[in-house]
Amino acid sequence: MTFFTIIYRGLQRRPVRTGLTLVGIAIGIAALVALVGISRGFEQSWASGMKARGTDIVVSNMGSVLAPKPFRATVRDDVASMPQVAATCAIFVDLTGVEESSMMVVSAREWGGFSWQNLKLVAGRMPKDATEPAVVLGQNAAEVLKKNVGDPLQLESTELTVVGIVDGGALVENGSLILSLPLYQRLSGNEGKINIIDVRAAPGMSPNEVKQLCTLINHRIPEARAMLAGEHVGNSEAYRFIRAMSWGTSLLAVIVGVLGVMNTMLMTVFERKQEICILMAIGWKRARIIRMILWESALLGMLGGIGGVAIGAAGVKVLETLPAIHGLLEPDLSPRLMVMAVAIAVIVGVISGLYPAWRSSRLTLSLS
Amino acid sequence: MNDPMIPSLTENVKATPADLAFEAKDLRKDFDDGRVRALRGVDFFIGQGEFVAVMGPSGCGKTTLLHMLGALDRPTSGSLLYCGKSLADLPDPAVYRAREIGFVFQSFHLLPTFTAVENVQLPMFETARSASERFKHAVSLLKFVGLEHRLDHFPAMLSGGERQRVAIARSLANDPSILLADEPTGNLDSENAHLILDLLIHLKRERQMTLVLVTHDPSIARLASRTIQMIDGLIVANTPESS
Repeated sequence: MTFFTIIYRGLQRRPVRTGLTLVGIAIGIAALVALVGISRGFEQSWASGMKARGTDIVVSNMGSVLAPKPFRATVRDDVASMPQVAATCAIFVDLTGVEESSMMVVSAREWGGFSWQNLKLVAGRMPKDATEPAVVLGQNAAEVLKKNVGDPLQLESTELTVVGIVDGGALVENGSLILSLPLYQRLSGNEGKINIIDVRAAPGMSPNEVKQLCTLINHRIPEARAMLAGEHVGNSEAYRFIRAMSWGTSLLAVIVGVLGVMNTMLMTVFERKQEICILMAIGWKRARIIRMILWESALLGMLGGIGGVAIGAAGVKVLETLPAIHGLLEPDLSPRLMVMAVAIAVIVGVISGLYPAWRSSRLTLSLS
Repeated sequence: MNDPMIPSLTENVKATPADLAFEAKDLRKDFDDGRVRALRGVDFFIGQGEFVAVMGPSGCGKTTLLHMLGALDRPTSGSLLYCGKSLADLPDPAVYRAREIGFVFQSFHLLPTFTAVENVQLPMFETARSASERFKHAVSLLKFVGLEHRLDHFPAMLSGGERQRVAIARSLANDPSILLADEPTGNLDSENAHLILDLLIHLKRERQMTLVLVTHDPSIARLASRTIQMIDGLIVANTPESS
């Protein structure tokens, strides 16, 4: 028998209460895994989308909404004229409801720009020119909208035709509705406006030089900010808000878990008052009693954390299959997030056990 | 007598003139802000290797006295020395309890979620013994009390006499020099009571232990070499008895 046998037996003493406490922690940690995983996944999806398009720098004005704010289309010419810039592509991105889907990425791209090049046709064809009332759909978008080549598609108040289905090489690209920039500017009433410029740096530039190019662009363009591809979403006010909400909600769930563990451990200490007194009577030091209580609560936290990670990951997988968001979610369920979630649960357990452990050390020895 | 793996508290203590284990002077203990006076100034000594019975009616302070000897409680005033050293000045009473004292209680006080062999191992966690050494020693102690066939039984699966034998084995876990027994036969039938008393006397003789036994039964007290009679927190008689 080791010290951990004693700790394990302590938790086994009241299996129902231990089980319910574990469920409480697990729900808190599951919420954390799901919310943080989704928000991180959102950021990473955009980063991989940019990578798929071969974009090094994104010039945009990320405000307090998820889609960036529009600015003058001529800004693109200012950026394109810089010697360190190899290519640019003006884009208007919107997040809007499209027919059955409550939210979809609409990506209107400069006709002939490099951001069309990564799209591989799976079915149909690309639009013939910048003015043809046609769209191509990413594979997931086509699945969500239940559209095939030749089907009509209502965007704003205009009926367009789905002429092709493409594989964009990233979840964001495959979940997008893609059309030419002039067409969307006209039908959305945003003539002369764009909200993103994809920039390819000149070949051979080091990551440091690309960062310096961002600074140069920022000096020249007051309307928007240049950031390394992928970072622009993470730095946006809207994303920061989502991230704060995710952590805030998770924190609330975790606090509920803390209170649950603390309650359980306090009950344990009160119920096991005589047992603790016996252990002290047979020579156990108060420090060992404190360690026993802290280890029990830490073990509760760890087991709850492992359960929570499993529930959270399973929950996110179920969410991914829901029609409303299918193809839009690419949650980050990396081992790093899972280890972090279990570590948080263990810390929660230890913190929850501090007061009960202190109470146990203050017990008056009484064996009557 | 002490566990060879842990240094004795008494190693550097000079033996008192009469090789006293305990010496109490004007020992007092109050509870509830002085409203309850459990010990009202008692003086006594207990020699090393002696078997002393503490007798008296319920509430006379017997158990309080035993708890003082085991450093489970501190006196309100007066002095209580163990081998010439004040128990009130112990830096950590838990070390004293772990190394020098074995407790046997009327209600056995075994932990219900641990088997017999695990209960006996519990006191050994404060020693340097490894897990396998703890197990082997616990098995040998349970053999000593005749329970080698009950190693993996939980307390609820044992009879009262068996539970008390497990408790005695547990009290010997760290090879203490003092055994403090609080009504050890109080919850047992006469047959088991005799078995437990025989075991305690055998232990005392074989291991040269100091045995302090609290009882209200005169027939048990007669087995001791000396009887301390208490009433209302005072020692009213301290008489040698034939063993």
